[in-house]
Amino acid sequence: MVDQAALDDWFCREVLTLEPALTRYIRRNWRGPEDVFDLTHDIYALALHGARNGLPAHTSGYVFAIARNHLIQQARRSQIVSIEFLANLEGVGAPPDLTMADRHIDARDELRRALAGLSALPPRCREVVRLRKVEGLTTRETADRLGVGIDAIEQQLTKGMRALTDFMLGGSGKVAWPSRQKRQVRRSE
Amino acid sequence: MTSPAHEASDRAARWILRQEEPDWSPREEAELEAWLAESSLHRAAYLRQQTGWRAADRIGSLGPIDGEKFDRPQSPFYRRWQPWAIAASLALVVGAGSTLIFSDGPPRSVTQAFATPIGAQQKVVLADHSKVELNTATRLRAAVTAHRREVWLDQGEAFFDIRHREHTPFVVHVGTRSVTVLGTKFAIRRDGTNVTVSVLEGRVRVDATTDAKVKRSTTISAGDVAVVRDNAMLVAEHAETRVENALGWREGMLNFSDARLADAAREFNRYHRRQILVTGKVATDMRIDGAFQAANIDGFTHLLRDAYGLRVTEDGETIKISE
Repeated sequence: MVDQAALDDWFCREVLTLEPALTRYIRRNWRGPEDVFDLTHDIYALALHGARNGLPAHTSGYVFAIARNHLIQQARRSQIVSIEFLANLEGVGAPPDLTMADRHIDARDELRRALAGLSALPPRCREVVRLRKVEGLTTRETADRLGVGIDAIEQQLTKGMRALTDFMLGGSGKVAWPSRQKRQVRRSE
Repeated sequence: MTSPAHEASDRAARWILRQEEPDWSPREEAELEAWLAESSLHRAAYLRQQTGWRAADRIGSLGPIDGEKFDRPQSPFYRRWQPWAIAASLALVVGAGSTLIFSDGPPRSVTQAFATPIGAQQKVVLADHSKVELNTATRLRAAVTAHRREVWLDQGEAFFDIRHREHTPFVVHVGTRSVTVLGTKFAIRRDGTNVTVSVLEGRVRVDATTDAKVKRSTTISAGDVAVVRDNAMLVAEHAETRVENALGWREGMLNFSDARLADAAREFNRYHRRQILVTGKVATDMRIDGAFQAANIDGFTHLLRDAYGLRVTEDGETIKISE
Protein backbone atom coordinates (compact mmCIF):
# COMPACT_ATOMS: atom_id res chain seq x y z
CA MET A 1 0.00 0.00 0.00
CA VAL A 2 1.26 3.45 -0.91
CA ASP A 3 1.00 6.02 1.85
CA GLN A 4 -1.98 8.29 1.14
CA ALA A 5 0.12 11.43 1.34
CA ALA A 6 2.65 10.06 -1.15
CA LEU A 7 -0.17 9.01 -3.44
CA ASP A 8 -1.81 12.43 -3.29
CA ASP A 9 1.53 14.09 -3.90
CA TRP A 10 2.24 11.90 -6.89
CA PHE A 11 -1.19 12.67 -8.29
CA CYS A 12 -0.75 16.43 -7.93
CA ARG A 13 2.79 16.54 -9.26
CA GLU A 14 2.74 13.96 -12.01
CA VAL A 15 -0.82 13.22 -13.08
CA LEU A 16 -2.43 16.66 -12.97
CA THR A 17 0.40 18.12 -15.05
CA LEU A 18 -0.69 15.79 -17.84
CA GLU A 19 -4.09 17.44 -18.01
CA PRO A 20 -3.57 19.50 -21.19
CA ALA A 21 -2.24 16.47 -23.07
CA LEU A 22 -4.89 14.21 -21.61
CA THR A 23 -7.85 16.39 -22.51
CA ARG A 24 -6.42 16.87 -26.00
CA TYR A 25 -6.11 13.13 -26.34
CA ILE A 26 -9.70 12.56 -25.24
CA ARG A 27 -10.98 15.27 -27.56
CA ARG A 28 -9.15 13.72 -30.48
CA ASN A 29 -10.46 10.25 -29.77
CA TRP A 30 -13.97 10.87 -28.52
CA ARG A 31 -16.75 12.36 -30.51
CA GLY A 32 -18.62 14.24 -27.79
CA PRO A 33 -16.65 17.20 -26.45
CA GLU A 34 -19.23 17.62 -23.70
CA ASP A 35 -17.95 14.36 -22.18
CA VAL A 36 -14.31 15.47 -21.83
CA PHE A 37 -14.63 16.69 -18.26
CA ASP A 38 -16.33 13.52 -17.05
CA LEU A 39 -13.94 11.24 -18.91
CA THR A 40 -10.91 13.10 -17.56
CA HIS A 41 -12.20 12.63 -14.04
CA ASP A 42 -13.01 8.96 -14.62
CA ILE A 43 -9.42 8.49 -15.76
CA TYR A 44 -8.06 10.40 -12.76
CA ALA A 45 -10.11 8.27 -10.38
CA LEU A 46 -8.91 5.06 -12.08
CA ALA A 47 -5.30 6.29 -12.00
CA LEU A 48 -5.53 7.11 -8.28
CA HIS A 49 -7.23 3.84 -7.49
CA GLY A 50 -4.78 1.76 -9.51
CA ALA A 51 -1.72 3.35 -7.96
CA ARG A 52 -2.70 2.52 -4.38
CA ASN A 53 -0.57 -0.61 -4.36
CA GLY A 54 2.44 0.99 -5.97
CA LEU A 55 3.23 4.13 -7.88
CA PRO A 56 3.91 3.48 -11.57
CA ALA A 57 7.44 3.99 -12.83
CA HIS A 58 6.23 5.94 -15.86
CA THR A 59 3.26 8.07 -15.03
CA SER A 60 2.37 9.28 -18.51
CA GLY A 61 2.48 5.78 -20.00
CA TYR A 62 0.34 4.57 -17.13
CA VAL A 63 -2.22 7.36 -17.39
CA PHE A 64 -2.57 7.16 -21.15
CA ALA A 65 -2.94 3.38 -21.04
CA ILE A 66 -5.81 3.89 -18.61
CA ALA A 67 -7.24 6.61 -20.83
CA ARG A 68 -7.15 4.42 -23.89
CA ASN A 69 -8.76 1.44 -22.14
CA HIS A 70 -11.39 3.63 -20.59
CA LEU A 71 -12.36 5.26 -23.88
CA ILE A 72 -12.61 1.89 -25.58
CA GLN A 73 -14.69 0.49 -22.76
CA GLN A 74 -17.02 3.47 -22.72
CA ALA A 75 -17.39 3.29 -26.48
CA ARG A 76 -18.26 -0.41 -26.31
CA ARG A 77 -20.77 0.22 -23.59
CA SER A 78 -22.46 3.02 -25.42
CA GLN A 79 -25.25 1.68 -27.63
CA ILE A 80 -25.11 4.45 -30.16
CA VAL A 81 -21.49 4.10 -31.14
CA SER A 82 -20.97 2.76 -34.62
CA ILE A 83 -18.49 0.09 -35.55
CA GLU A 84 -16.39 2.50 -37.60
CA PHE A 85 -15.98 4.77 -34.62
CA LEU A 86 -14.88 1.94 -32.43
CA ALA A 87 -12.41 0.68 -35.01
CA ASN A 88 -11.10 4.17 -35.40
CA LEU A 89 -10.64 4.57 -31.68
CA GLU A 90 -8.84 1.27 -31.23
CA GLY A 91 -6.53 2.22 -34.03
CA VAL A 92 -5.69 5.65 -32.71
CA GLY A 93 -4.94 4.81 -29.11
CA ALA A 94 -1.23 5.59 -29.07
CA PRO A 95 -0.32 8.02 -26.32
CA PRO A 96 0.80 11.40 -27.60
CA ASP A 97 4.34 12.68 -27.49
CA LEU A 98 4.55 14.91 -24.51
CA THR A 99 6.42 18.11 -25.05
CA MET A 100 8.14 19.81 -22.17
CA ALA A 101 5.44 22.43 -22.25
CA ASP A 102 2.83 19.78 -21.50
CA ARG A 103 4.73 18.42 -18.57
CA HIS A 104 5.70 21.67 -17.00
CA ILE A 105 2.57 23.65 -17.30
CA ASP A 106 2.76 24.29 -13.55
CA ALA A 107 6.24 25.71 -13.84
CA ARG A 108 5.19 28.33 -16.33
CA ASP A 109 4.67 31.87 -15.41
CA GLU A 110 1.94 31.22 -12.91
CA LEU A 111 1.21 34.85 -12.29
CA ARG A 112 0.56 35.57 -15.94
CA ARG A 113 -1.67 32.55 -16.14
CA ALA A 114 -3.51 33.35 -12.95
CA LEU A 115 -4.14 36.88 -14.20
CA ALA A 116 -5.42 35.70 -17.55
CA GLY A 117 -7.63 33.18 -15.77
CA LEU A 118 -8.99 35.85 -13.50
CA SER A 119 -9.80 38.20 -16.32
CA ALA A 120 -11.62 35.40 -18.14
CA LEU A 121 -14.15 35.15 -15.31
CA PRO A 122 -17.53 36.90 -15.49
CA PRO A 123 -17.29 40.30 -13.71
CA ARG A 124 -19.23 39.40 -10.59
CA CYS A 125 -17.40 36.12 -10.16
CA ARG A 126 -14.07 37.88 -10.75
CA GLU A 127 -14.75 40.44 -8.03
CA VAL A 128 -15.61 37.74 -5.50
CA VAL A 129 -12.48 35.74 -6.34
CA ARG A 130 -10.38 38.90 -6.19
CA LEU A 131 -11.69 39.77 -2.73
CA ARG A 132 -10.74 36.28 -1.62
CA LYS A 133 -7.32 35.99 -3.20
CA VAL A 134 -6.09 39.57 -3.10
CA GLU A 135 -7.75 40.99 -0.04
CA GLY A 136 -8.09 37.72 1.79
CA LEU A 137 -11.68 38.24 2.87
CA THR A 138 -13.61 35.38 4.41
CA THR A 139 -16.91 34.38 2.84
CA ARG A 140 -18.81 36.31 5.47
CA GLU A 141 -16.70 39.43 5.05
CA THR A 142 -17.22 39.25 1.29
CA ALA A 143 -20.96 38.84 1.74
CA ASP A 144 -21.06 41.82 4.10
CA ARG A 145 -19.05 44.02 1.81
CA LEU A 146 -21.07 43.24 -1.29
CA GLY A 147 -24.33 43.21 0.60
CA VAL A 148 -25.45 39.81 -0.60
CA GLY A 149 -26.08 36.46 1.05
CA ILE A 150 -23.39 33.96 1.99
CA ASP A 151 -24.94 31.38 -0.32
CA ALA A 152 -24.54 33.67 -3.29
CA ILE A 153 -20.88 34.29 -2.43
CA GLU A 154 -20.22 30.58 -2.01
CA GLN A 155 -21.81 29.89 -5.36
CA GLN A 156 -19.70 32.53 -7.11
CA LEU A 157 -16.54 31.36 -5.39
CA THR A 158 -17.20 27.75 -6.30
CA LYS A 159 -17.75 28.74 -9.90
CA GLY A 160 -14.67 30.95 -9.86
CA MET A 161 -12.50 28.29 -8.30
CA ARG A 162 -13.57 25.70 -10.83
CA ALA A 163 -12.94 27.98 -13.79
CA LEU A 164 -9.62 29.17 -12.39
CA THR A 165 -8.53 25.59 -11.66
CA ASP A 166 -9.29 24.61 -15.22
CA PHE A 167 -7.27 27.56 -16.43
CA MET A 168 -4.32 27.00 -14.12
CA LEU A 169 -4.12 23.38 -15.22
CA GLY A 170 -3.90 24.39 -18.84
CA GLY A 171 -7.54 24.50 -19.91
CA SER A 172 -9.52 27.31 -21.48
CA GLY A 173 -10.87 28.53 -18.16
CA LYS A 174 -14.37 28.09 -19.42
CA VAL A 175 -15.85 25.44 -17.25
CA ALA A 176 -17.67 23.09 -19.54
CA TRP A 177 -20.91 22.97 -17.65
CA PRO A 178 -22.62 19.94 -19.14
CA SER A 179 -24.86 20.38 -22.17
CA ARG A 180 -23.93 24.00 -22.60
CA GLN A 181 -20.90 23.55 -24.78
CA LYS A 182 -21.47 22.69 -28.39
CA ARG A 183 -18.89 21.83 -30.99
CA GLN A 184 -19.38 21.80 -34.73
CA VAL A 185 -16.73 19.20 -35.33
CA ARG A 186 -18.07 15.71 -34.96
CA ARG A 187 -16.41 12.51 -35.92
CA SER A 188 -17.85 10.69 -38.89
CA GLU A 189 -20.15 7.93 -37.72
CA MET B 1 -27.39 18.80 -16.51
CA THR B 2 -24.91 17.42 -14.08
CA SER B 3 -22.68 14.39 -13.67
CA PRO B 4 -20.80 12.67 -10.84
CA ALA B 5 -17.58 14.43 -11.88
CA HIS B 6 -19.25 17.86 -11.81
CA GLU B 7 -20.96 17.11 -8.52
CA ALA B 8 -17.70 15.95 -6.95
CA SER B 9 -15.88 19.04 -8.23
CA ASP B 10 -18.51 21.38 -6.84
CA ARG B 11 -18.45 19.62 -3.52
CA ALA B 12 -14.63 19.65 -3.48
CA ALA B 13 -14.58 23.38 -4.21
CA ARG B 14 -16.92 23.99 -1.29
CA TRP B 15 -14.75 21.91 1.04
CA ILE B 16 -11.69 23.91 0.05
CA LEU B 17 -13.47 27.20 0.62
CA ARG B 18 -14.67 26.01 4.00
CA GLN B 19 -11.13 24.98 4.95
CA GLU B 20 -9.94 28.50 4.36
CA GLU B 21 -12.43 29.93 6.82
CA PRO B 22 -11.11 30.74 10.29
CA ASP B 23 -13.72 28.58 12.03
CA TRP B 24 -12.90 25.35 10.19
CA SER B 25 -13.37 22.67 12.84
CA PRO B 26 -11.97 19.20 13.62
CA ARG B 27 -15.47 17.83 13.07
CA GLU B 28 -15.50 19.21 9.54
CA GLU B 29 -12.00 17.87 9.01
CA ALA B 30 -13.28 14.41 9.91
CA GLU B 31 -16.25 14.82 7.57
CA LEU B 32 -13.95 15.84 4.76
CA GLU B 33 -11.69 12.84 5.38
CA ALA B 34 -14.74 10.57 5.25
CA TRP B 35 -15.94 12.15 2.03
CA LEU B 36 -12.51 11.77 0.43
CA ALA B 37 -12.34 8.14 1.48
CA GLU B 38 -15.71 7.45 -0.15
CA SER B 39 -14.41 7.29 -3.70
CA SER B 40 -11.37 7.90 -5.82
CA LEU B 41 -13.44 10.33 -7.86
CA HIS B 42 -14.00 12.50 -4.77
CA ARG B 43 -10.31 12.48 -3.99
CA ALA B 44 -9.26 13.19 -7.57
CA ALA B 45 -11.69 16.10 -7.85
CA TYR B 46 -10.56 17.50 -4.49
CA LEU B 47 -6.84 17.29 -5.28
CA ARG B 48 -7.43 18.86 -8.68
CA GLN B 49 -9.42 21.81 -7.34
CA GLN B 50 -6.96 22.34 -4.51
CA THR B 51 -3.98 22.33 -6.85
CA GLY B 52 -5.55 24.75 -9.30
CA TRP B 53 -6.84 27.09 -6.62
CA ARG B 54 -3.47 27.24 -4.87
CA ALA B 55 -1.67 27.74 -8.16
CA ALA B 56 -3.78 30.86 -8.56
CA ASP B 57 -2.48 32.26 -5.27
CA ARG B 58 -0.09 34.38 -7.29
CA ILE B 59 -2.97 36.76 -7.87
CA GLY B 60 -2.57 37.71 -4.24
CA SER B 61 0.93 39.04 -4.90
CA LEU B 62 -0.43 41.68 -7.22
CA GLY B 63 -2.42 43.81 -4.93
CA PRO B 64 -4.84 46.08 -6.76
CA ILE B 65 -5.77 45.11 -10.31
CA ASP B 66 -7.27 47.06 -13.20
CA GLY B 67 -7.30 50.43 -11.45
CA GLU B 68 -10.52 49.58 -9.72
CA LYS B 69 -11.00 51.19 -6.35
CA PHE B 70 -9.03 49.34 -3.74
CA ASP B 71 -8.70 51.84 -0.96
CA ARG B 72 -10.27 49.50 1.53
CA PRO B 73 -8.43 48.45 4.66
CA GLN B 74 -7.05 44.95 4.83
CA SER B 75 -8.96 42.54 6.97
CA PRO B 76 -7.27 40.66 9.81
CA PHE B 77 -7.77 37.44 7.82
CA TYR B 78 -5.70 38.91 5.02
CA ARG B 79 -2.82 39.79 7.26
CA ARG B 80 -2.78 36.35 8.77
CA TRP B 81 -2.14 34.38 5.65
CA GLN B 82 -1.42 36.64 2.76
CA PRO B 83 2.35 37.09 3.10
CA TRP B 84 2.83 33.37 2.82
CA ALA B 85 0.31 32.61 0.16
CA ILE B 86 2.84 33.33 -2.56
CA ALA B 87 5.47 31.05 -1.18
CA ALA B 88 2.91 28.35 -0.66
CA SER B 89 1.58 28.46 -4.17
CA LEU B 90 3.70 25.75 -5.71
CA ALA B 91 1.90 22.81 -7.11
CA LEU B 92 3.13 20.50 -4.39
CA VAL B 93 -0.12 20.24 -2.56
CA VAL B 94 -0.82 17.08 -0.70
CA GLY B 95 -2.99 15.74 2.06
CA ALA B 96 -5.99 17.41 3.49
CA GLY B 97 -5.20 19.12 6.74
CA SER B 98 -6.47 22.43 7.93
CA THR B 99 -5.02 24.90 5.50
CA LEU B 100 -3.55 28.35 5.75
CA ILE B 101 -4.32 29.06 9.34
CA PHE B 102 -2.43 27.67 12.23
CA SER B 103 -4.18 27.57 15.53
CA ASP B 104 -1.30 27.33 17.94
CA GLY B 105 -2.66 28.63 21.20
CA PRO B 106 -0.55 30.96 23.28
CA PRO B 107 1.84 28.96 25.43
CA ARG B 108 1.58 29.33 29.19
CA SER B 109 4.47 30.80 31.12
CA VAL B 110 6.61 31.83 28.18
CA THR B 111 9.91 32.95 29.53
CA GLN B 112 11.59 34.41 26.47
CA ALA B 113 10.63 35.76 23.04
CA PHE B 114 12.96 36.50 20.14
CA ALA B 115 12.44 38.13 16.76
CA THR B 116 14.61 39.14 13.84
CA PRO B 117 13.71 41.73 11.18
CA ILE B 118 14.09 41.07 7.45
CA GLY B 119 17.74 40.52 6.54
CA ALA B 120 18.95 40.02 10.10
CA GLN B 121 20.10 36.96 12.02
CA GLN B 122 20.50 36.39 15.73
CA LYS B 123 22.14 33.78 17.93
CA VAL B 124 20.60 33.11 21.33
CA VAL B 125 21.41 30.78 24.20
CA LEU B 126 18.50 29.27 26.09
CA ALA B 127 18.34 28.55 29.82
CA ASP B 128 19.48 24.94 29.29
CA HIS B 129 22.50 26.13 27.27
CA SER B 130 20.97 24.98 24.01
CA LYS B 131 21.80 27.36 21.19
CA VAL B 132 19.39 28.72 18.63
CA GLU B 133 20.21 30.74 15.53
CA LEU B 134 17.36 32.74 14.07
CA ASN B 135 17.37 33.47 10.35
CA THR B 136 15.75 36.44 8.60
CA ALA B 137 12.21 37.50 9.57
CA THR B 138 11.84 34.93 12.31
CA ARG B 139 9.83 34.88 15.52
CA LEU B 140 10.44 32.37 18.29
CA ARG B 141 9.16 31.95 21.84
CA ALA B 142 10.85 29.73 24.39
CA ALA B 143 9.73 28.19 27.67
CA VAL B 144 12.75 26.41 29.05
CA THR B 145 12.95 25.39 32.71
CA ALA B 146 14.46 22.52 34.65
CA HIS B 147 11.49 20.28 33.89
CA ARG B 148 10.35 21.40 30.54
CA ARG B 149 11.91 22.50 27.28
CA GLU B 150 9.55 23.90 24.67
CA VAL B 151 9.85 26.51 21.95
CA TRP B 152 7.38 27.86 19.41
CA LEU B 153 8.61 28.79 15.96
CA ASP B 154 5.92 31.26 14.98
CA GLN B 155 7.51 32.40 11.76
CA GLY B 156 10.66 31.96 9.72
CA GLU B 157 13.61 29.64 10.16
CA ALA B 158 15.93 28.62 12.95
CA PHE B 159 18.88 26.31 13.58
CA PHE B 160 18.93 24.41 16.86
CA ASP B 161 21.94 23.01 18.68
CA ILE B 162 20.25 21.20 21.54
CA ARG B 163 21.96 20.11 24.76
CA HIS B 164 21.30 16.49 25.57
CA ARG B 165 19.20 16.01 28.70
CA GLU B 166 18.12 12.47 29.44
CA HIS B 167 14.58 12.90 30.72
CA THR B 168 13.58 16.25 29.34
CA PRO B 169 12.94 16.14 25.62
CA PHE B 170 13.23 19.40 23.71
CA VAL B 171 10.06 20.15 21.75
CA VAL B 172 9.74 22.65 18.91
CA HIS B 173 6.16 23.55 18.07
CA VAL B 174 5.61 24.63 14.50
CA GLY B 175 1.99 25.47 13.92
CA THR B 176 0.01 22.32 14.59
CA ARG B 177 3.11 20.15 14.52
CA SER B 178 5.91 19.46 16.90
CA VAL B 179 9.46 18.24 16.54
CA THR B 180 10.88 16.36 19.51
CA VAL B 181 14.55 15.76 20.24
CA LEU B 182 16.81 14.77 23.08
CA GLY B 183 20.06 16.25 21.85
CA THR B 184 20.98 17.08 18.28
CA LYS B 185 21.54 19.75 15.65
CA PHE B 186 18.86 20.54 13.13
CA ALA B 187 17.06 23.37 11.36
CA ILE B 188 13.37 24.07 10.97
CA ARG B 189 11.87 26.37 8.40
CA ARG B 190 8.30 27.49 8.34
CA ASP B 191 6.90 28.62 5.01
CA GLY B 192 3.19 29.17 5.33
CA THR B 193 1.80 25.67 5.71
CA ASN B 194 5.08 24.06 4.68
CA VAL B 195 7.45 22.96 7.40
CA THR B 196 10.92 21.73 6.47
CA VAL B 197 13.12 19.93 8.96
CA SER B 198 16.80 19.36 8.05
CA VAL B 199 18.90 17.26 10.39
CA LEU B 200 22.65 17.85 10.71
CA GLU B 201 23.35 15.55 13.66
CA GLY B 202 21.43 12.98 15.68
CA ARG B 203 17.76 12.13 15.30
CA VAL B 204 14.54 14.04 15.64
CA ARG B 205 10.91 12.98 15.72
CA VAL B 206 8.49 14.94 13.60
CA ASP B 207 4.87 14.77 14.74
CA ALA B 208 1.86 15.61 12.66
CA THR B 209 -0.56 16.61 15.38
CA THR B 210 -3.10 18.26 13.13
CA ASP B 211 -5.53 15.66 14.37
CA ALA B 212 -5.06 14.92 18.05
CA LYS B 213 -6.80 11.56 17.70
CA VAL B 214 -4.44 10.21 15.09
CA LYS B 215 -0.93 10.57 16.43
CA ARG B 216 1.48 10.10 13.57
CA SER B 217 5.17 10.69 13.73
CA THR B 218 8.32 9.93 11.82
CA THR B 219 11.86 9.82 13.10
CA ILE B 220 14.53 11.19 10.79
CA SER B 221 18.29 11.21 11.23
CA ALA B 222 21.38 13.12 10.21
CA GLY B 223 21.40 13.92 6.50
CA ASP B 224 17.61 13.64 6.18
CA VAL B 225 15.18 16.35 5.19
CA ALA B 226 11.46 16.14 5.98
CA VAL B 227 8.95 18.41 4.29
CA VAL B 228 5.59 18.46 6.00
CA ARG B 229 2.46 20.00 4.68
CA ASP B 230 -1.02 19.56 6.03
CA ASN B 231 -1.25 15.87 6.85
CA ALA B 232 1.45 14.79 4.46
CA MET B 233 5.13 14.28 4.97
CA LEU B 234 7.85 13.70 2.42
CA VAL B 235 11.21 12.51 3.68
CA ALA B 236 14.42 12.70 1.66
CA GLU B 237 16.92 10.31 3.20
CA HIS B 238 20.69 10.68 2.89
CA ALA B 239 20.22 14.12 1.42
CA GLU B 240 23.43 15.50 2.90
CA THR B 241 23.84 18.05 0.12
CA ARG B 242 20.32 19.30 0.66
CA VAL B 243 20.93 19.62 4.37
CA GLU B 244 24.12 21.51 3.68
CA ASN B 245 22.34 23.80 1.23
CA ALA B 246 19.50 24.32 3.67
CA LEU B 247 21.96 25.43 6.35
CA GLY B 248 24.00 27.75 4.13
CA TRP B 249 22.22 30.78 5.60
CA ARG B 250 24.17 30.31 8.82
CA GLU B 251 27.22 31.45 6.88
CA GLY B 252 25.18 34.11 5.15
CA MET B 253 25.07 32.05 1.98
CA LEU B 254 22.29 30.87 -0.28
CA ASN B 255 23.19 27.61 -2.00
CA PHE B 256 21.34 26.54 -5.09
CA SER B 257 21.71 23.32 -6.98
CA ASP B 258 19.67 23.25 -10.16
CA ALA B 259 17.15 25.67 -8.66
CA ARG B 260 14.65 27.50 -10.85
CA LEU B 261 15.45 31.19 -11.06
CA ALA B 262 12.00 31.99 -9.73
CA ASP B 263 12.71 29.89 -6.64
CA ALA B 264 16.18 31.37 -6.20
CA ALA B 265 14.68 34.86 -6.39
CA ARG B 266 12.16 33.93 -3.75
CA GLU B 267 15.01 32.88 -1.46
CA PHE B 268 16.73 36.25 -1.92
CA ASN B 269 13.44 38.02 -1.30
CA ARG B 270 13.25 36.58 2.20
CA TYR B 271 16.30 38.65 3.14
CA HIS B 272 15.41 41.96 1.54
CA ARG B 273 12.72 44.58 1.45
CA ARG B 274 13.55 45.09 -2.19
CA GLN B 275 11.97 42.21 -4.05
CA ILE B 276 13.08 40.43 -7.18
CA LEU B 277 10.26 39.75 -9.62
CA VAL B 278 11.05 37.28 -12.38
CA THR B 279 8.77 37.35 -15.41
CA GLY B 280 8.59 35.28 -18.55
CA LYS B 281 8.81 31.54 -18.97
CA VAL B 282 12.42 31.35 -20.08
CA ALA B 283 13.71 33.46 -17.21
CA THR B 284 11.44 31.82 -14.63
CA ASP B 285 12.57 28.33 -15.54
CA MET B 286 16.24 29.16 -15.95
CA ARG B 287 18.35 26.94 -13.70
CA ILE B 288 20.70 28.40 -11.14
CA ASP B 289 23.67 26.68 -9.55
CA GLY B 290 26.12 27.97 -7.00
CA ALA B 291 26.55 29.81 -3.74
CA PHE B 292 25.60 33.46 -3.30
CA GLN B 293 25.78 35.89 -0.42
CA ALA B 294 22.26 36.40 0.83
CA ALA B 295 22.98 40.03 1.62
CA ASN B 296 24.28 40.82 -1.85
CA ILE B 297 21.09 41.04 -3.88
CA ASP B 298 22.72 43.42 -6.36
CA GLY B 299 25.60 41.03 -7.00
CA PHE B 300 23.06 38.37 -7.86
CA THR B 301 21.03 40.52 -10.23
CA HIS B 302 24.18 41.86 -11.90
CA LEU B 303 25.29 38.30 -12.50
CA LEU B 304 21.94 37.53 -14.08
CA ARG B 305 22.41 40.53 -16.36
CA ASP B 306 26.06 40.00 -17.24
CA ALA B 307 26.39 36.23 -17.33
CA TYR B 308 22.89 35.14 -18.27
CA GLY B 309 21.99 38.08 -20.50
CA LEU B 310 18.74 38.83 -18.69
CA ARG B 311 17.15 42.25 -18.53
CA VAL B 312 17.30 43.85 -15.09
CA THR B 313 15.17 46.92 -14.40
CA GLU B 314 14.65 48.56 -11.05
CA ASP B 315 11.40 50.18 -10.11
CA GLY B 316 11.36 51.42 -6.54
CA GLU B 317 11.42 48.38 -4.29
CA THR B 318 11.02 45.96 -7.18
CA ILE B 319 13.83 44.54 -9.26
CA LYS B 320 12.35 43.11 -12.42
CA ILE B 321 14.14 40.29 -14.23
CA SER B 322 13.05 39.40 -17.74
CA GLU B 323 14.45 37.99 -20.96
